[in-house]
Amino acid sequence: MEGKRIVEKEDIYTLVEKIKEGDREAFMTVTSLYQKKVFLLAFSFFRNKEDALDIVQETFLRLYQKVYMFKSGKNFQNWLLQIAKNLCIDYYRKNYGKNKGWQSEKPIDEMNLTVQNEHDPLISSDLRGILSTCIKKLAEKQRMIFVMKQYNQLKYSEIAQILDISLGTAKSLHFKAVQNLRGLMAPYLGRQL
Amino acid sequence: MIDCKKFKKDFVAFLYGELKKSERELLKVHLDACPNCKRELEELKEIRKGAYVFQADIEKAVASVDWETLPMQITENVFKEEARVPRGSWLKKFSSFLFQPRLRPVYAGLLIGIVLGSLVTLMVLRTPVSIETKAEEFFAPLDFLEKVELEMARRDTLDYLDKSQYLILDFIQTPSEKSAELWQSEFTSQRARDLLAKKKYINPQLDKFQMAKAKAICDQIEFLFYELAQISVELSAEEIRKIQKMIKERQILLKISILKKELELSEV
Repeated sequence: MEGKRIVEKEDIYTLVEKIKEGDREAFMTVTSLYQKKVFLLAFSFFRNKEDALDIVQETFLRLYQKVYMFKSGKNFQNWLLQIAKNLCIDYYRKNYGKNKGWQSEKPIDEMNLTVQNEHDPLISSDLRGILSTCIKKLAEKQRMIFVMKQYNQLKYSEIAQILDISLGTAKSLHFKAVQNLRGLMAPYLGRQL
Repeated sequence: MIDCKKFKKDFVAFLYGELKKSERELLKVHLDACPNCKRELEELKEIRKGAYVFQADIEKAVASVDWETLPMQITENVFKEEARVPRGSWLKKFSSFLFQPRLRPVYAGLLIGIVLGSLVTLMVLRTPVSIETKAEEFFAPLDFLEKVELEMARRDTLDYLDKSQYLILDFIQTPSEKSAELWQSEFTSQRARDLLAKKKYINPQLDKFQMAKAKAICDQIEFLFYELAQISVELSAEEIRKIQKMIKERQILLKISILKKELELSEV
């Protein structure tokens, strides 16, 4: 419901102004409007529901605390996703940084990729593992751009705004991300596809 | 080859539908003519497709969340968290005002000001100490110091001549019979000893400043005092008269007066 709902710029600015005044209802409305987008970003990044929900909670808490910094005229969604992105990176560094890795993964070489069948849960599970490991190997910004583009279907202009980089850099980083993924997955894709 | 490099940069944007129509058309024409690029694009397409294996996970995860109640829970938690510091409180407003990003340059300026101010204060406070330290040491030009020493030598010599003059006058004016008695008195012999000591003290000064004339006269006086110091009761009146005569012949008193005049005139 909330994802499809079209929010006019004026509407969201009015809601933000109300949140600045401490309006609980306005805050709940904004949360219901944007919770899914934040969840999608966080889930794409962590591929873990609990982590994603933590990020959603933390993002809206941060929104409430920093709402006075938001200036009318800016893109609210991008501003909010920027908060979510920063939290994802902090959370990742804190919980998955050095030596912590994603727990569900097994070494790439031990995964079975000999038969391609997207509908077979077993095969899909291994491909997920491969992709998960390869995506994790991407540089932070490349990984973020990749998930934003792939799973959040954001435009380059939006990604550029969220990551506070130029449009050209966003395009170039996405290109590098896909190229690097191709390089990392090449041996396995060669057998599978 | 150059064309390939140019088009390859657009492959990902093309796959994700972010190329303009004209750019898309140009790329399609190139792909029809370049099997290498076509193959590479196919590989990238597979990566993109492969990445969609997560789509089912995402959809499953999205479906498992209760989106109706989540906003209420989030709002509850956020307002409970914020209740610790009431939103409308002056502290909250003040801290929000204080830490707003647009004030960062002001804080940076303030910080620089404080650092510079502290340094200047430190310098200012340290300056008197350094002056005081310098004041303990006295530096003066060499010629000035020489003048001071010359003046001291001049005054010492004058003093010596003065005292000698009086003593010699006493000796001359005393009748020869009483002279021995006079020289044996404690007071007079002490004066003579003092003058002999003083002569030893002014000797280096006279040598240093090449006061030859003064040195000659002072030497004569010194010699005279040595003679007189040897006066004993047994010394005859005749011998005393001889010494008195010698003083007059050598015009010692006159020489002393002239030298004193000269020294007085040559005040530095």
